[in-house]
Amino acid sequence: MTTSSNPAPALAINVAGVRFAYGDTFAVDDVSFSVPPGEILGFLGPNGAGKSTTIKMLTGQLNPDAGTIEILGMNMPGQRESIQARLGVCFEEKNLYLSMTGRENLVFFARLFGVRDFEPEPLMERAGLSTRLDDRVSEYSKGMRQRLMMARALINTPDVLLLDEPTDGLDPVSAIGIRDLIRREADRGAAVVLTTHDMHEADELSDRVAFINQGTILTIDTPDNLKLAHGQRSVRIRTRDGDGVGEQVIPLDEAGAEDRIKDAVSAEGLMTIHTEEATLEDIFVEYAGRGLAG
Amino acid sequence: MTGSRIAAIIRKDFREFSRNQFFVFITLLVLVTYVAVFWFLPDSVDETVRIGVSNSVLSTDVGGVTESGTAGFALEIYASEEELQTAVEEGRDGIVAGIAFPPNFFESTAAGETPTVRLLVPAGLPPEIQLLLEGAVSEIAFGIAGVAPPVDPITEAVILGADRAGNQISLREQMLPMILIMVLMVETFALSSLVAIEVQQRTVVAVLATPVRIVDFLAAKGIFGVGLALSEVVLLGLLIGAFAVNAPAVFVILLLGAVLVTGFGMIAGSYGHDFVGTLLASMLFMIPLMIPAFGALFPGSSPTWVKVLPTYGLVQALIDVTADGKSWSQIAPSLLLLAAWCLAAFAAGAFILRRRVATL
Repeated sequence: MTTSSNPAPALAINVAGVRFAYGDTFAVDDVSFSVPPGEILGFLGPNGAGKSTTIKMLTGQLNPDAGTIEILGMNMPGQRESIQARLGVCFEEKNLYLSMTGRENLVFFARLFGVRDFEPEPLMERAGLSTRLDDRVSEYSKGMRQRLMMARALINTPDVLLLDEPTDGLDPVSAIGIRDLIRREADRGAAVVLTTHDMHEADELSDRVAFINQGTILTIDTPDNLKLAHGQRSVRIRTRDGDGVGEQVIPLDEAGAEDRIKDAVSAEGLMTIHTEEATLEDIFVEYAGRGLAG
Repeated sequence: MTGSRIAAIIRKDFREFSRNQFFVFITLLVLVTYVAVFWFLPDSVDETVRIGVSNSVLSTDVGGVTESGTAGFALEIYASEEELQTAVEEGRDGIVAGIAFPPNFFESTAAGETPTVRLLVPAGLPPEIQLLLEGAVSEIAFGIAGVAPPVDPITEAVILGADRAGNQISLREQMLPMILIMVLMVETFALSSLVAIEVQQRTVVAVLATPVRIVDFLAAKGIFGVGLALSEVVLLGLLIGAFAVNAPAVFVILLLGAVLVTGFGMIAGSYGHDFVGTLLASMLFMIPLMIPAFGALFPGSSPTWVKVLPTYGLVQALIDVTADGKSWSQIAPSLLLLAAWCLAAFAAGAFILRRRVATL
């Protein structure tokens, strides 16, 4: 596996004032963020917000018009090859060699990364594809291809993982499998940047989320902090009331809120209790003035 | 490290190529078909012009002009003008034209009269042959009348260049450059398809997200393309005996040809958005590139502008070596021209593919 003699920097990724335009249109404008090792940063935004352009600059596909990108203490694009040797990338499009088997795809990329004595079996096992190792990728389902994409991104045991919509369009079971893989990579110490327009995924996976819209980062924080800052601290309790349903909202910051909740829970006919915290989508709308769809 | 990465991409390309049933089928089909066509073509040229004559009186040589088998002429005698006309129309007995002498030709001519002799010529007969026949009739008439032509200059033929009398280039030899170039063209399509698939499926993006540099990628495509085209054209060349004369020169010419078509393959592949698009883009290059090879089938027929086509040097060098047995120094101008086009095509192909990849 690839190893590095460089000491681990405090920040795996450090992006400062990055800007990129397609012609006269700014796709990314003055974007700054950083990711320490072991953290998952979720880029949350609608289509066309600048998420994929940001990822392309991190992978070295695009060179920023302005600003600096440091990955693992090295400059991108100046030290592109050295950085790319330690990057794992999962693209939005399923860019696999369809006429080749899963094994052949992985072995080919292992050679490109210069990974010696590569054995695809453990990686395919982790991706849940061990029984399909020698099947051609053209015979894989969409979910299987996505899992193979993830396995490919892990060939070089990357220090930085860049994942562009890694669960887009997947069935729930496949999506759970992919999220589990991502979580384990972060636990191993990899810095992970993932883009998504799925607020549940961002909430579930990300240590921090960055809201991006029209090429600009609106805010970056942990999902909990965002929800606390923008949601209502209240509990909505629904109880059976004769033939109907009774409902009360108890603000948590009010005096006596604890007793009111206890009373409601102990009373007969309790049906449901829900916290009233805001979803990430609610907060995104608050920041961007638009939803995540489209 | 770079070498092993390039080698990995080449191995991968070969694997993809060998698994594409269409490419494999076309490659084998082209090989088998062209080899078969080549060996079925006549390997000699009948230099005798056969003329039909409708008056048996003239079957004996008159004035030496119509002596059978000399001066490239041979006579076929027909009993009547009608029979002669049918033979000319149907191209029977290999005759290219007929001379219908009137029954009283001998007597009329001897008496100093002016009989009418009808030339029966098919529509496609070159006018030069018709003039030749008219001259022959006059010679016969002078011979019969015992009168010398008014002016009878001594003519002396000076052959400029290789004297091919008795050693004409056969159709098989003429077809040789075209067959070799056709195979190179087919591999242009194969390479352009592989490049197009890599671009369309964006697998190149995944490759370039590894430590592979764009120059490594382009080098791999170039080596694979040249290797693919060269191996097939060399195999075909061996099967049709293209290496019989000056084999090293033929190999170098074919190598340059493979480089040339690889450059065009990369350009076509960069622009192909799907199978049909790639096919059309390939055809766009293949058709003009074939023109010099077609021109070789009809020597002297190619207009001057054909010389600016990239494959002109390739065809010319092939003809010079395989048909005329020319030496390295004699084919040097054609080789230099071809090498310049190779450089231009390959550089353009790499540049366009690089730009295409950058926009993905």
